[in-house]
Amino acid sequence: MQKSFSLPAQPESLHLIREEIDQVAEKIHLERKKGYRLKLALDEIATNIINYGYAASEKQGEKPPEIHITIQINEQYLSVTLTDQAMAFNPLAKELPGEAELSKPPEQRKIGGLGIMLARNSVDDFKYEFRDGKNINTLSIELHDNRGR
Amino acid sequence: MTLSVNTTYRHNNALIKIEGSLDSSTAYQLEEQVKDVVNNSPEALILDVEKLDFMSSAGLRIIIFAKQKLGAAVSLTLVKPQDQLVDTLKMTGLIHSVHIVDSYP
Repeated sequence: MQKSFSLPAQPESLHLIREEIDQVAEKIHLERKKGYRLKLALDEIATNIINYGYAASEKQGEKPPEIHITIQINEQYLSVTLTDQAMAFNPLAKELPGEAELSKPPEQRKIGGLGIMLARNSVDDFKYEFRDGKNINTLSIELHDNRGR
Repeated sequence: MTLSVNTTYRHNNALIKIEGSLDSSTAYQLEEQVKDVVNNSPEALILDVEKLDFMSSAGLRIIIFAKQKLGAAVSLTLVKPQDQLVDTLKMTGLIHSVHIVDSYP
């Protein structure tokens, strides 16, 4: 099964992505926690594209920029690919907050930096590539439990 | 899915009931009310999140902001968080900075 669509790169699109995942999750009887983890990761990456990617690149022409979304199911994974033409950003290259930062009380923490960490830790597989001027993020959840979580 | 946020005060405790989905398009609603609460210097902040179905890092940022403004002495309590929200708090270490309860009288 495969489904593709595009949404305007704006915060109001975030809940639409979640609704699409909910529909697919229901069809394939995906465990609730797995669906949530995928939605959380997608939300963080899409927010990043919307807030930083497009705001920083001044590529906006007449048409509002879009995020292209492809949902795919194979035997092993439910995978969602987000493709955008904002400035290049590799979430996998970003340094995540370490144990020391995460064990600090909030009063001593920096605000931010948690979104990418949540995205990377919430899915079972995360791929990034930059091809033809596009960021391509593919986030996957294992359909069957091969590892304890 | 939208977000609904409602603040009430009991004695000097601020209680914020949060329902729906909190993402970066809806977070400002909670942020505004948390800012008001912080200005009123409550003795405790209680977040009723039983019906909060989704929360991204936009919500975590508000929790961190609230703790920073209120100071370590003011407790932050979550009432009946859903399992997925608890997982998010664990993953980010914030679980150690909040109290979790099953009910708030």
